[in-house]
Amino acid sequence: MNKAMILNPTRPVWPGFSSSKSLCGDANCMEQLLLHCANAIESNDATLTQQTIWVINNLASSDGDSTQRLASSLLRALISRAATKSPAFSFLSVASASHETLHRFSVIELAAFVDLTPWHRFGFIAANAAILDAVKGYSSVHIVDLSLTHCMQIPTLIDSMATKLINKEQPPPLLKLTVVLSESPPPPLLGISYEELGLKLVSFAATRNVAMEFRIIYSSYSDGLSSLIEQLRLDPLVCNEALVVNCHMMLHYIPNDTLSYLSPSRSLFLKELRDLNPTMVTLIEEDADFTSSNFIARLRSLFNYMWIPYDTADTFLTCGSEQRQWYEADIGWRIDNVVAKEGAERVERLEPKSRWFERMREADFTGVGFGEAVAREVQTMLEEHAAGWGMKRDVDDSDDVERFVLTWKGHSVVFASAWVPMNRVDGCSHVEA
Amino acid sequence: MPVDLDNSSTVSGDARSVSSTGNQNHNKPPKKKRNLPGMPDPKAEVIALSPKTLMATNRFVCEICNKGFQRDQNLQLHRRGHNLPWKLRQRSSKEVRKKVYVCPVSGCVHHDPARALGDLTGIKKHFCRKHGDKKYKCEKCSKKYAVQSDWKAHSKICGTKEYRCDCGTLFSRKDSFITHRAFCDVLAEETAMNHTHTNQLCPQTAVVLQPDLKSPASAAPLTPPPTSNEPAKISSPSVLPVESSSESPENNPLEVIMDEEPPRTIGFNVSDDHSRTPRTIGFNASDDHSSNNNKGVYAGLFASSTASPSLYASSTPPSTSLFAPSSSMEPISLCLSTNPSLFGRPTMAQDPPPHFLTPLSLPPPQPAMSATALLQKAAQMGSTGSGGSLLRGLGLVSSASSSSMELSSHDLGLGLLPCSSSGGSGGGSGGLKELMLGNSCVFGPKQTTLDFLGLGRAVGNGSSNPVGGLSALLTSIGGGGGMNVFGTAGEFSGKDIGRRSS
Repeated sequence: MNKAMILNPTRPVWPGFSSSKSLCGDANCMEQLLLHCANAIESNDATLTQQTIWVINNLASSDGDSTQRLASSLLRALISRAATKSPAFSFLSVASASHETLHRFSVIELAAFVDLTPWHRFGFIAANAAILDAVKGYSSVHIVDLSLTHCMQIPTLIDSMATKLINKEQPPPLLKLTVVLSESPPPPLLGISYEELGLKLVSFAATRNVAMEFRIIYSSYSDGLSSLIEQLRLDPLVCNEALVVNCHMMLHYIPNDTLSYLSPSRSLFLKELRDLNPTMVTLIEEDADFTSSNFIARLRSLFNYMWIPYDTADTFLTCGSEQRQWYEADIGWRIDNVVAKEGAERVERLEPKSRWFERMREADFTGVGFGEAVAREVQTMLEEHAAGWGMKRDVDDSDDVERFVLTWKGHSVVFASAWVPMNRVDGCSHVEA
Repeated sequence: MPVDLDNSSTVSGDARSVSSTGNQNHNKPPKKKRNLPGMPDPKAEVIALSPKTLMATNRFVCEICNKGFQRDQNLQLHRRGHNLPWKLRQRSSKEVRKKVYVCPVSGCVHHDPARALGDLTGIKKHFCRKHGDKKYKCEKCSKKYAVQSDWKAHSKICGTKEYRCDCGTLFSRKDSFITHRAFCDVLAEETAMNHTHTNQLCPQTAVVLQPDLKSPASAAPLTPPPTSNEPAKISSPSVLPVESSSESPENNPLEVIMDEEPPRTIGFNVSDDHSRTPRTIGFNASDDHSSNNNKGVYAGLFASSTASPSLYASSTPPSTSLFAPSSSMEPISLCLSTNPSLFGRPTMAQDPPPHFLTPLSLPPPQPAMSATALLQKAAQMGSTGSGGSLLRGLGLVSSASSSSMELSSHDLGLGLLPCSSSGGSGGGSGGLKELMLGNSCVFGPKQTTLDFLGLGRAVGNGSSNPVGGLSALLTSIGGGGGMNVFGTAGEFSGKDIGRRSS
């Protein structure tokens, strides 16, 4: 391609149509540059690092297109990593200094935020449907909500309980909601206290004639939520009460075996959960793998997943808008965590779906499908968003259960799954509705 | 290596000059269900249609009654009705290769063949939606659409279902409405008032704060009173924070929700081409004229960038000569210029088209890329013109860089060190050097014109002789095979470069 294309003016040069085997879109080029930079950092090559940073800096931009914004964020994180890594990179410590403060969302802001894309709503719809189905007939429902979005899933759950779980004889069940408050939660950050949040939820439930209790438990994901487990063990056994644990993008903050010096807390937590004999566990997580101990592999995974939030941002957030800055600052925090942090500080240890499912099965859970009605509900919701959103219905080979995966332009984004304990034993008899 | 790459190539690498002219694209894809988004068939044939073809509606016109048709076959069938001789082309007997279509707008998500769409209607609609004029407007909510079917589909549902919160915010979806309503203060105040009146309604309603078993060492942000098992009734509205100030801005993001796409500037300026070269928008001319017309198209496009060649001419002589004969400046300016109309990328960061990034299923990127290809890629990427330099923003000004080579812009201050320790970074990063060389040479300061040295106006900034610096850089870094192009250049301190032809 080269010589002929450049020197012969009759041949129009159309970038993007390289005849070479490797298809080079701009993103590919950017990825290579970033990987080169990462390699330079890992090999302590200050010169090469500086050069690559220089080049990437010229191409990246926090105001540009989605590739550029992603690259800008990754570059910032790479600089931060280099600066903390070795004295060879001390010249970068100036650049790596400041981190933007993350926005604290008010509840109303957060409520609007979670609906800007299907990212969260997808999981909400699937999980709520599974939960509702599982708790039919119980007079009391205890939900442990481990959610990144600070209970944004709950109002719709309350609403469906109020409408679908009533009949002439019985009012809707008592709803007990337990939430976990940890020390330094990941973004998005909530601007009000959990007490206030709980008050609002309870009064909302009251308007729907649902009696509700709200409880905050202090626990830490880094130790596998041990204090939560303890508290749940101490809870008195209530007859005809369903225990539901809703895990929405938080479980990956429990360390796994890649954090070597800690015991595999993730699987342990799941086993402890199983011992509590829950009625249902819903697991919604992002489908990516950030656990590789090889930094380069991790960076590549990161690049190949994080382009998605930047790309979707273009569809719903105008360039330069404040909301976009908040949104992208949160993404930047996560990128920084995967790139620049190591050890216990690196909390974004996303695992692929298959690994999660392995863990659930090892912990003696078995999968439950969602059904057609839910699929339709999700599809309807997706139609209201940008055209790139879609849903895959994946039947898992190991257990023949169909699960849903949210996709953006064909790429997996978030998976939703529902689980019940294998061979569950009922403490008290309960009436199936 | 196939040279005729004007309008198509296959994803898997071999090219065939399919005339993507409208009247020859007659093979209807077999009727099938809608393709799924994602990776197209790697063996599929990539077709690039011109904007005009994509936007065209009824270009096949019956000479008798002037009725227009989108496809030639439809016209032929119509002609039968006039008892005119008609000619339907048979579908070719050889196996029909699946066709995928790319968007002509450079920088667009679907411009990359790996992101091609498998459906002709799909690419037409995409082009219209993303790069076309929004001619259709919904009467109720004034949302604009470029594609008529989108507009119709929207009009059906617009305003049909509306949920309105007491605070005034409108929602089209029930779940967003409910989520909002749960937390909206207007509602909460009303509820609180109801509660004081009807305490009997929900006697069990309570907020219970469980003290944790091991109190955390550091102070939690909240200090809950240990009200173990003592239900606290929600009574006075004063407990609830009033956040009315945040409500009006919420309308904006919600409007954004309803907005499908913010308006986008049209990068590829179709109308200009029309005025310049009316018959020669290369892709729809008939076969025998195609090559001439393509030249004409690009000549037309280049005409809009006449400024650039002169800029090249005025920069230091070695830079122009790197691309040998000056008559070939125009295609080079195509590669390197920041002219937005060529690349469909506005230099002002104003709703740039969403850019689709690396597909997951591509093989791992090969580090060795020809420098030329990289130059071009980098040229596209670098034409941002925006001032968001990360390092500048971070205040990194290491003007005391020990290197003698200040190739970078004065703003950046991050000097490019000579790769004197090239031993260390030699082998494995051969590809990197090409990458860097391609990019760094082209882009010195971001905002200025991209001359080869990438120095532009930054030349006079007290840095050491940039030309000498560049040659030193080239010398020390040591190019790979990709340096061929530069090797053929005449006048540049070619002694340095000549050494390096592989």
